[in-house]
Amino acid sequence: MDKMIYAILSVKKKSGKLDALLATLKGISGASLYAVVYEGIIAVVSDIEKSDLITDRSNAIEYASIIESLVQQFPLLPMCYGSLMESTDAIAEMLGRNYTELRQNLKKVENMREYGLKIFCDPEKLKSEFQAISKNDINILIEPSTEVKNSVYREYVRNKLKEHRLEESIMTYVNSVIAEISGCLARLNAVCKFKKMPSATIMVDAVFLLRKDKKDELLKVVNDLKNQYQKLNFVLTGPWPPYNFVDTRIK
Amino acid sequence: MMNENKILFDTGSLGELSKELGKLTDKEKSKLKLNPDNAESGLAKLVMTLVELIRKLVEKQAMRRVDGGSLTDDEIERLGETLMKLENKMDELKKHFNLTEEDLNINLGPLGDLM
Repeated sequence: MDKMIYAILSVKKKSGKLDALLATLKGISGASLYAVVYEGIIAVVSDIEKSDLITDRSNAIEYASIIESLVQQFPLLPMCYGSLMESTDAIAEMLGRNYTELRQNLKKVENMREYGLKIFCDPEKLKSEFQAISKNDINILIEPSTEVKNSVYREYVRNKLKEHRLEESIMTYVNSVIAEISGCLARLNAVCKFKKMPSATIMVDAVFLLRKDKKDELLKVVNDLKNQYQKLNFVLTGPWPPYNFVDTRIK
Repeated sequence: MMNENKILFDTGSLGELSKELGKLTDKEKSKLKLNPDNAESGLAKLVMTLVELIRKLVEKQAMRRVDGGSLTDDEIERLGETLMKLENKMDELKKHFNLTEEDLNINLGPLGDLM
């Protein structure tokens, strides 16, 4: 039977707190959860048959719920769904091999929570707003300087250049929004990661790691941003376990 | 616990958010469905996606050069002809393999859309 790892966490003092919590939780397929300990870092695991490891919505939610319950009480590094090892000895060895990196990451996420901010835009409205700016000087660049007649190819380049200018203008705007958010969150000592325009409607997809007592300040920042950028829509979610802020690969 | 409300702030885009999350779970469009009956079209989708990505990158780089103002009239003319022919050829191939522009813009999960 394999061992499924849910999270790696640190427990400062030997106490019954973790055991008591694990006794109230059930793993995938209703299996009991238990701890594999190595020098103060702990892997929370359950036994599982490989054939029971089904990747579906219900198991994914169950898995996330367990991590969510653990993160309420301990600093932890969430593991990917489906992280299996063949024995508790192999897990202890893995903890030993990766000890320094795991410790560093656990220290980084201690008392921290992750938040996600998605900023939505209406792509058509955004394009029409920036259309005027992007037209500047295009004719100067594309008009033939000699007696060459305007051709279909030249017209094609002119249209493509308009599109290119439009994209560049929008990207400049996106960068300015990101700079504004970074500035506001720097005051909260947040660690930020941004993705620009990951889809047509999401202008910015950001994740932040910040101290758990800063939630209200974060809400105020997002509220101020909304007032500043009234045409954009904001969705802030969290607090989450630090899914996007673990910088280690298990060796 | 997961029953805790995770939406802290929303200004009316929950519908959009749920659509985007739907894209992550609805992998059907992004999947490369290869089986003995559709090997040709499955492979065509993969190859066309890569070609379209490269074509768009080339086009972007070309527009940067035009925008820089360093191209002569003749160079702009030839560039336009080349890019136009490339785009037309891609449209022809898409029609041939029954693919739309959306089919080629595959969703890369957490990384977002390819193009």
